[in-house]
Amino acid sequence: MSEKVLLVDDEKDFLDIMSERMEARGMTVKTADSADQALKILEKESFDAIVMDFKMPGMDGIQALKNIKTQKPELQIILLTGYATVEKTVEAMKIGATDLLEKPADLEALAARIKQAKAEKMLVVEKKTEDKIKDILQRFGG
Amino acid sequence: MSPSRNDIQFFGTLSAAMTHDMKNCLAIINENAGLLADLAVKAQDKAIPVDPLKAATISEKIGKQVARADDMMKRFNRFAHSMDHDKETVDIEEAVDLVARLSERILLQDRIRLTVIPASAPCRIHASRFAVLHLIFRAFDILCRNQTDGTSDSEKPVTVQFSSDPEMPEICFIQDFRPEIKMESLFASPEDQALLARVNMNIKTMDSGAGFCLYTLPPARE
Repeated sequence: MSEKVLLVDDEKDFLDIMSERMEARGMTVKTADSADQALKILEKESFDAIVMDFKMPGMDGIQALKNIKTQKPELQIILLTGYATVEKTVEAMKIGATDLLEKPADLEALAARIKQAKAEKMLVVEKKTEDKIKDILQRFGG
Repeated sequence: MSPSRNDIQFFGTLSAAMTHDMKNCLAIINENAGLLADLAVKAQDKAIPVDPLKAATISEKIGKQVARADDMMKRFNRFAHSMDHDKETVDIEEAVDLVARLSERILLQDRIRLTVIPASAPCRIHASRFAVLHLIFRAFDILCRNQTDGTSDSEKPVTVQFSSDPEMPEICFIQDFRPEIKMESLFASPEDQALLARVNMNIKTMDSGAGFCLYTLPPARE
C-alpha cells in the first residue's frame, strides 16, 4: 500500500515539483502552504507522515510541531529545513520530530525515511490497539 | 570603527534569513533537475519520449529560480559591501528597500506587510551605510515585537515614508495595528542610543502613538 504524505511548505513551486516526484514514486501526496492549513487538514484526514518545512511565515516550526503532536501523537513528522542549528534540531527531536533533513534533500533518502516513518507509525498504532484490547479484556474478561 | 556585538548579531540575522531563502531556491532547482533525470530514465527504460513542452516548463522553472537566487546574491553582496567605508552618502530610500528585501522572511514571519511610499525628493545622509541599515532593521524589529498577540493570523500593515525636506531627512514608520508605540520602548537601550549617535539621528513618536520617525540632527559643531 502506498504511503500517504502531507507535504507542508510555503514555497508553492517546491510543493508542486516535490509532490509530482513523490507521486511518481507511488506515494499519495496532499499539500499545505502553512502550518495553520496543515493543522486544518489534519483535523479531517490521516497521514502516514508529514514532511514539513521548519521555517515558514506565521506559526513557528517548534509551535507547529507541538500542535501537531498534541492533535495526532502517533503522526511521524519529518522536518525539512534550509538551515539546521544543533540547538533547533535537538529541540525538534525532543518534541517528537521523527527526522530532520536539510534542503536541498535527496528524494531517494527522503522516500526511504517516509517508508520507515510509516512502519514506525504502524507499530505505534498496533501498540495502541493492543493496549486497548488488553484494557477491555482486563475490565470485561472476567 | 569596530563592529559592536549588536552589529554582528544584525549581520548574522540577515545572513541566516538570506541563506534560508537561497536554500529554498536550490531545493527547487534540485527537484527540477531530479525530474529531468526521472524523465530521462523513463525515456531509456520504457521508451517513453520526453515531452518537449514538459522539458521547456522545467527549464523555465529552473531559470526562474536562478534569477531569484541571483537577485538575492546581488542584494546580499550590496549588504556585505556596506562596511567598505566609515562614512559615505547614503540614500535612505534605497537603504530601506535593501533592508526590507533582505528581511522579507523575518517580516513575513511576524505577518508585517510593508508599504514604502517613494520619497518626493532624494533623501540622503552622510553616515556609515552599515549603521544606517542596522538602524532601519532595528526599527522593523521594534514593529515586529510591538504586537499584543504574536500568534494572530491577521496581517500587520506598516507604511514607511520619507520627509520631503532634503536638508532634514526623516524616515517615518507608521503601523496600522495596536498596541500604540510608546516613547520609552523606542531605542532606549545604550546600544540603540549608540547606534542613533553613529548616524547622527534621533527619534520621535507620532502624537497618535501610531508610529515613530527617525530624524537627522544638525551636524555637530567642531
